[in-house]
Amino acid sequence: MKIVACYKCVLDEADIRTDPVSRKPLTDRAKRKISDYDRNAIECAVSFAEGLGASSHVLTAGTSEAKSTLKDALSRGPDSAFFFQDDAMGDADSAVVARVLAGALKLIGEVDLVVCGEGSSDNYAQQVGPRVGQLLGIPIVTCVTHMTIEDGVARCERNLEDGVEVVEVSLPALVTVLPSMNAPRLPGLKQILAASKKPVQNLTVTDLGLSGEDLVPRLRRVEMLGASSTRRNVKLTGSAGEVVAQLLQVLKQEELI
Amino acid sequence: MDFELTEEQQLIQAMAREFAQTKVAPIAAEIDQNHRFPSELIPELQALNLLGIPLPEEYGGAGADAISYVLVIEELARACASTAIILSTHTSLCAWPIYKFGNEMQKKQYLSKLASGEWLGAFGLTEPSAGTDAASMKTIAVLEDDQWVLNGSKIFITNGAYADVFLIFALTDPAHGTRGISAFIVDKGTPGFSCGAEEKKMGIKASSTTPLYFSDCRIPRENLLGKEHKGFSIAMAALDVGRIGVAAQALGIAQGALDAAVAYAKERIQFGKPIASHEAIQWMIADCATEIDAARMLVYRAAWNKDKGLPYSSEAAMAKLFASETATRVAGKAIQIHGGYGFTESYSVERSYRDAKITELYEGTSEVQRMVVSRSLLH
Repeated sequence: MKIVACYKCVLDEADIRTDPVSRKPLTDRAKRKISDYDRNAIECAVSFAEGLGASSHVLTAGTSEAKSTLKDALSRGPDSAFFFQDDAMGDADSAVVARVLAGALKLIGEVDLVVCGEGSSDNYAQQVGPRVGQLLGIPIVTCVTHMTIEDGVARCERNLEDGVEVVEVSLPALVTVLPSMNAPRLPGLKQILAASKKPVQNLTVTDLGLSGEDLVPRLRRVEMLGASSTRRNVKLTGSAGEVVAQLLQVLKQEELI
Repeated sequence: MDFELTEEQQLIQAMAREFAQTKVAPIAAEIDQNHRFPSELIPELQALNLLGIPLPEEYGGAGADAISYVLVIEELARACASTAIILSTHTSLCAWPIYKFGNEMQKKQYLSKLASGEWLGAFGLTEPSAGTDAASMKTIAVLEDDQWVLNGSKIFITNGAYADVFLIFALTDPAHGTRGISAFIVDKGTPGFSCGAEEKKMGIKASSTTPLYFSDCRIPRENLLGKEHKGFSIAMAALDVGRIGVAAQALGIAQGALDAAVAYAKERIQFGKPIASHEAIQWMIADCATEIDAARMLVYRAAWNKDKGLPYSSEAAMAKLFASETATRVAGKAIQIHGGYGFTESYSVERSYRDAKITELYEGTSEVQRMVVSRSLLH
């Protein structure tokens, strides 16, 4: 049995600052990290592999910057890593990423379970996982918070807005996990030092049978600005009824209602 | 020249930071206030291989370098100085000397359990009348019937009440001062060996600091570490390594105090705006950050020298001297930035200030570090 966790390399939001004048994000000192929910995905893959006697692997697609996260990912327990590196991934949209990951998963072959985070720490578009599953033609279960696997069937609990849904799918399948799925392990020193000895297979467009056209995004980012809020310091006074009336008027003026 | 940490060192730093912030920081104030040794952290430190960082894998250690070691101590001290010194004493002053000077039998018997974290270590050199002046030591060891018989006492022994293995220094030739000192490995529970009451300290209150008593304490002849009468050299070598650890501890204390001061300066509103917008505060923060960075360079350089097999005694002394005095200055400034609130137990900078002072005292006072540095230039 083979389990693959997909992860995204993102900028550490703790290091991102915003220019107070232009509001443009300042990322020159921001380090790269594994997207938060993807750490849950890796933990899920590794813990199920340990329990089932399966092999676990990580797969990521990105620019050369993503290479810095490979040892971190490998220190968290998987047997090996697959790394698709291309400069075009810097502008990739969800469709491009899904195309690349699906191509890589086909190349890896005989993958019984694909685990993705529910969404990435930066965009949180929640698209890549379902798109990969669709391209592979396998069942997709999103928002998973608990899972058991028995006799080739995954029984998943989905945490939805209006309750918990329990579904069963035959493997191979793809699941996207929420952070309550598990607590990602903290790798010890020995695991960190051993990570550099684990195999990393580098993948290219040619390996995946794709062309440069397949990496062209349809989504175009027009601009990215930091959120800002300024207080108006307006104080509404009077009786409760008068204050409510004034508040309604302000909200209408601001076209908020 | 390369100022960048390796990928492994960055990952080790991140791991130590996450552990320190999620497991150590939440209990740091409580264990300080209650003078409580954090026994619950020991298995966690062991699971992360943090009790044998620079020791070889063949003896159960992690086989990491000295830079990784200081990164871990720094991150732990940033959250809790007591936890940092528990680890530093165990590693630098007990496990490392046994690795460096022990024979194969001693390494198998003791180092494997120390490096894996199964046992905790301590170091006993200081005595009531022998602090910096080790030659005034009174504890003696006499060989009788193929056993060493120890008599005397030690004070200020870190990990005293919790250690399983003690590296003890005693006179084997009282007529020759420091050239008559030998080092011995003593097991907890050996008849004639006991541990006294905990010291009531100003800082690092969660670490155990006790006297040790030896009354006709008999240990096997083979528990002599290194050669007879060569104990002082072993102690000095251990303290060179230990000083890198204490320097890293001081660095972490300073960084933790600055972190708290920066956060507070952004939150605290006076005269209608955060105090961070006042130049007086900005200058204090800039001075603290600059001093901390200078200390960091010295600490990392000392560790780097050790990793490269270069001399590091003077570098370790410089690092400890500057980092420890930086910690005290920065913690003082951090309280100043907090104003009256910084003088209360509600804010961590009060603890930082108390914890910082010891780094100027133990494993050689600042004056001893200046002696070490000046001797390297003048002798």
